[in-house]
Amino acid sequence: MSAAGFRFRNPSALPGFGLSLGFTVFYLSVIVLIPIAALIVRPWEIGFSGFWNVISDPRVLAALRLSFGGAAIAAVINAVTGPIVAWVLVRYNFPGKRLLDALIDLPFALPTAVAGIALSQLYSANGWVGEPLSHLGIRIAYTPIGVIIALTFIGLPFVVRTLQPVLNDLSRDPEEAAATLGANRWQTITRVVLPSLMPALLTGATLAFARAVGEYGSVIFIAGNLPTVSEIAPLLIVIKLEQYDYAGAAAIGVVMLAASFAVILALNLLQNWIGKRR
Amino acid sequence: MSLVVDSIVKKFERFPALNGVSLTAPQGAFLALVGPSGSGKTTLLRILGGLEFPDSGSVHFADLNWLDVPARDRRAGFVFQQYALFKHMTVEKNIAFGLTVRAKKLRPPKEEIARRVEELLALVQLEGYNKRYPSQLSGGQKQRVALARALAIEPRMLLLDEPFGALDAKVRKELRGWLRAIHERMGITTVFVTHDQEEAFALADLVAVMNAGKIEQYGTPQDVRRAPKTPFVADFIEVQAGI
Amino acid sequence: MKFRRYPTQDHPLSRIALSLIAIGVVTLFLVLPLATVFTEALRKGLGVAWEALDDPDARAAVRLTLITAAIAVPLNAVFGVAASWAIAKFDFKGKQFLTTLIDLPFSISPVVSGLIYVLIFGLQGWFGESLREANVKIIFAVPGIVLATIFITFPFVARELIPLMEDQGRDEEEAATSLGASGWDTFMRVTLPNIRWGLLYGVLLCNARAMGEFGAVSVVSGHIRGLTNTMPLHVEVLYNDYQFVGAFAVASLLALLALVTLVLKSLLEWRFADDIAATHRH
Repeated sequence: MSAAGFRFRNPSALPGFGLSLGFTVFYLSVIVLIPIAALIVRPWEIGFSGFWNVISDPRVLAALRLSFGGAAIAAVINAVTGPIVAWVLVRYNFPGKRLLDALIDLPFALPTAVAGIALSQLYSANGWVGEPLSHLGIRIAYTPIGVIIALTFIGLPFVVRTLQPVLNDLSRDPEEAAATLGANRWQTITRVVLPSLMPALLTGATLAFARAVGEYGSVIFIAGNLPTVSEIAPLLIVIKLEQYDYAGAAAIGVVMLAASFAVILALNLLQNWIGKRR
Repeated sequence: MSLVVDSIVKKFERFPALNGVSLTAPQGAFLALVGPSGSGKTTLLRILGGLEFPDSGSVHFADLNWLDVPARDRRAGFVFQQYALFKHMTVEKNIAFGLTVRAKKLRPPKEEIARRVEELLALVQLEGYNKRYPSQLSGGQKQRVALARALAIEPRMLLLDEPFGALDAKVRKELRGWLRAIHERMGITTVFVTHDQEEAFALADLVAVMNAGKIEQYGTPQDVRRAPKTPFVADFIEVQAGI
Repeated sequence: MKFRRYPTQDHPLSRIALSLIAIGVVTLFLVLPLATVFTEALRKGLGVAWEALDDPDARAAVRLTLITAAIAVPLNAVFGVAASWAIAKFDFKGKQFLTTLIDLPFSISPVVSGLIYVLIFGLQGWFGESLREANVKIIFAVPGIVLATIFITFPFVARELIPLMEDQGRDEEEAATSLGASGWDTFMRVTLPNIRWGLLYGVLLCNARAMGEFGAVSVVSGHIRGLTNTMPLHVEVLYNDYQFVGAFAVASLLALLALVTLVLKSLLEWRFADDIAATHRH
């Protein structure tokens, strides 16, 4: 150890460290950190029991269950369809591939309210998809299935875009090795290719899940928002705010925030674990 | 059961990789394909392994029209230059892979597979490494696992692509003698690719010196060294010996 | 010579099946919703759709959306450049943690993002009382909308630039400094030209989100027609009023914005692949 002991930063010849870091930390604090602190502090003015009362209300519980459960189901759907889409985009060549590829990002670019009314219209009983389904007795709009559809829409690009670069960089050697060792294509895909995509797939699905848990705009139109049936947690925050129940809104907000942190933590642990294994 | 390669032509989009290549090797031969990069030696090896297909020409081996046999039915143990180990599998799972993917009725029972893995680990001198992952092995160890994995399927032919290319000089020398010993013990027809003529001459029974998609000279190391047929071969031997 | 399949190629039937699944998924989830927006907008003809856009409230919504983006995007761009300069060009303790914090707004529900500002500036918020006495309105007014938008789009530019600048290293800046360039000159003449396409890429995505944000803005806006409605909020108001053609007409403007964004984004990825962050090369 040098005589200087603890050193905040390594010496550098470049200028502007103080200014850029100072501004970064200041802006981050004002815009992000202090407001989040305000949220974390807020619900406790009604005490822990008050907080618990808000959270254990059946309507709140049902909403949280729908937001988390729906997000989980949507993430699983995307974890199945996402790899297929990514595989087709990376491995196959066909006319219109570029267009298909560019469209994947639509849920990132399309405002959620627009997606919301479009999905609602499309899957309602007189929409292009909803109408044929309604003849089969299947209702999607204004049911939890509608919520899952919207959450799947919003999550798809996360899985595809996480997998694509990994799939692109994936060496063909192990696939060829598997073939020379006598594996058929299915065995090669399931035992060699998929396991090496697993980390990226998990990461993508987690990102999709995290986004879907908090999703609001694309869901509320198609959901129908029936309390305890198709009402999502973020909507309940809005309703509580409209009733000026700040503490109640904050309580639900804190639960969702805690879930976000848990997801970030899980992702970091996942990446660490993967980093160690390769 | 000899290997007969006849007038193989293979063109890639911009350049011809193989321009009418023919050679014959007896059963159990140890054959080296040597030449500068881009000479087509790896392409020929991949054709033998079923990973690449020629535009014309034929390959016969073990009384079979070899090109009509899909890679997975050839039982050609292929050792890749970068090892191509399955990163998410332990050493023992890697070695056992070729046995576990067999159809149920052809698959040896679990205990038999485990026994075979132990044998192979002993053969490549990696006893006790069963549960390691490839990332926990050195280059030389990875190479030996790759070889054990290829040997596990009881190959009819052993194909090695620059098997020692990524290793340092000392490990290279060690593994060389050891590969020769394994070949002697098993008697499998072995083809290996190298850009290092010294390695080719030291190891192989037969050497094919390749350049620009053609075999310049084919024969025993002694013959090639004593009487280089073309200026290229003379030059290739000369230059490399000079290094 | 008979056709032979390479061992890394899928069976033709699987290729067709997988392609159809992929195209089906994209059609069902992405193409059809997009097509719905435009067909619903034009259901009663171009004239009716145009009327909805010509409406004073709609115009006010467009104006507010443009103003909001015009404030939020430059601020976050400046922040993104500063943050990536500090993080990519220097080594200091807690760098990883800082990077995680910058990404934070991405993982927070838009509604929660709006909520935190209500808790601070709302009537019963931390500063609610003093703001009312000073007669300053933040919540249910434009400043709140701008704040919530800044929060939502906070990481966009920074997360494009950090990996890009880390990739580029410090050599060129160090060379410039050793040649006697000032910090400002080094940045303007060496760094900025190297990151301009990445910066543009980040700004593009930031802008798309800023103009399209709904959840966060909805919480702080109060939905006052002609005053605090952005375009996405105006869509909601019209839709809930059963003015479907109007709602989809405004929505189709936003969808056009999304399409233009996608085209520009693809163009940048294709044309300047080496000059934008490594994660987008494909």
